[in-house]
Amino acid sequence: MLIEQSAYANRWRAVSPAAKGSFALGGLLAAFVANTPAAAAGIALVMVATTLLGARVSPWLYLRVAVPATAFLAVSSLSLMFSINLDASGGGPQWQFAPDAVSRIATVASRSLASLAALLFLVLTTPLRDLIALLRQLRVPEVILDLMVLCYRMLFVLSEAMHDMLTAQAARLGHASARRSLHSLGLLAANLMVQVWQRAQALATAALARNGCGSLRFLSPAFAHARRDTLIAAVASLALIALAGSLDR
Amino acid sequence: MTTRLILEICNIRHVYATGSAGLAGCSLNIRQGSRNALLGANGSGKTTLLQQLNGLLRPTSGVILIDGAPLDYSRNGLAALRRRVGLVFQNPDRQLFSASVFEDVSFGPLNLGLDEAEVRERVAQSLAAVGMTALAEQPVHYLSFGQKKRVCIAGVLAMQPEVLLLDEPMAGLDGAAQTELLAVLDELSSRGITIVLSTHDVDFAYRWADDIHVLAAGRCIASFDAGRLPEQEVALKAAGQTLPAVVELCRALVAQGMLPTTAAPRSLGQLAANLADMPSRHFVETLPLGATPSHAWRDARRGRTRRH
Repeated sequence: MLIEQSAYANRWRAVSPAAKGSFALGGLLAAFVANTPAAAAGIALVMVATTLLGARVSPWLYLRVAVPATAFLAVSSLSLMFSINLDASGGGPQWQFAPDAVSRIATVASRSLASLAALLFLVLTTPLRDLIALLRQLRVPEVILDLMVLCYRMLFVLSEAMHDMLTAQAARLGHASARRSLHSLGLLAANLMVQVWQRAQALATAALARNGCGSLRFLSPAFAHARRDTLIAAVASLALIALAGSLDR
Repeated sequence: MTTRLILEICNIRHVYATGSAGLAGCSLNIRQGSRNALLGANGSGKTTLLQQLNGLLRPTSGVILIDGAPLDYSRNGLAALRRRVGLVFQNPDRQLFSASVFEDVSFGPLNLGLDEAEVRERVAQSLAAVGMTALAEQPVHYLSFGQKKRVCIAGVLAMQPEVLLLDEPMAGLDGAAQTELLAVLDELSSRGITIVLSTHDVDFAYRWADDIHVLAAGRCIASFDAGRLPEQEVALKAAGQTLPAVVELCRALVAQGMLPTTAAPRSLGQLAANLADMPSRHFVETLPLGATPSHAWRDARRGRTRRH
């Protein structure tokens, strides 16, 4: 929901998704080109600054979205610092600290951070419907796009249905004890399954009523200055890749 | 409005796969350009009938005519039918499948095979017709229930149907949203679109419709000009309905001699206007002995102030 909130409220909401996609792709490529932790960290910094200062995404929101992924990255990096030594003299396998791996881990972690910042730039500035429209332009198979469209819509419909059911259960003491909660949760899951099936049928009928037969076709939204913005984003991406290359030396 | 019939439903039956009868010999006619209310209780067959008219369901027996010709259930025939007869479902969350207002409205016209420029034009026109232009870029899940309903109508309007079917359009709407939706329906009706809606609200049906069709147990038990509804007490009772409050009140006022027998207001607003237009002498004469006449309420309506 935080991502959704930011995607619709940022300053670059009306900028063409092709432009934002190009810049995010530039960020990913630059992260790949950056060979030293400093270069990758520099790219990450540029992407974060662009998101916060350019698109005016709230820093607090950015932090809340980034923390889980960053924590996951930190745990992964920590686990990379240790290895199992199978040939230890003590008999069985032993954990050992791998000090020589530190620089390698720093590079991997900083590259991951830069990639994360590039992806966050894209998702925090572009609503999913625009991303789907972009994927449609890029000729992604329609069946995948249909699934994305329906999943995205159903996410909200079913979360509302689930919320209603939870409230109804709580109103009748369905969650009064751990045992009751478990029982209620089972009922909720079963009921939600039925609702999913019924709603799927209803949507198929509704599509038929509007002459839908097969893939879901929609008109992509039009963006003003799309060509100009994409060109600017492409130039910025090239500059970013060049920056990553120059910071290596 | 003409007297030409655009849809003729001739003795149709519909039996669901479960064995339950949705319609049991239903017959009624829809005049082109008219405003029709299918009035009936829950389970009377209103939704089944609407889905029949859009070709989503096929009658087990009987026939439906459009412009005098039986419905064509071939792939092309159904596509042509659904272009002419659009259906708006009761629950918007079961009709809207794109998270974007603009995209969802474009779904129908794109299925008609129109080019992009034409579709964009139609989407803009339809959203304007339902007063949703300002919210075209909003995600559907941020809209209120009433706004979602209007998006559903826009999605069907974009296919430029001649007949608009609405399943319980007022259900779940608050007073303000109902008023907005009524304004939309009035506008569509003034453009010559034939409107058929289902409702169980007899007061609304009497106030709004040109023709009322009373449904009970899968059959149309009465079909009449809405102005003749006060004479249909028996049919209404059979369908589990009562007379509209305004008819009951009007009868009581006529019995008291406070309204002429020719008065036939269709809404409480019209009734109040009729009363306000009556000469004040009339009230004095008809008031019971000993009662004090007070016209303060009427004067207040006309903006006068009185000093006592």
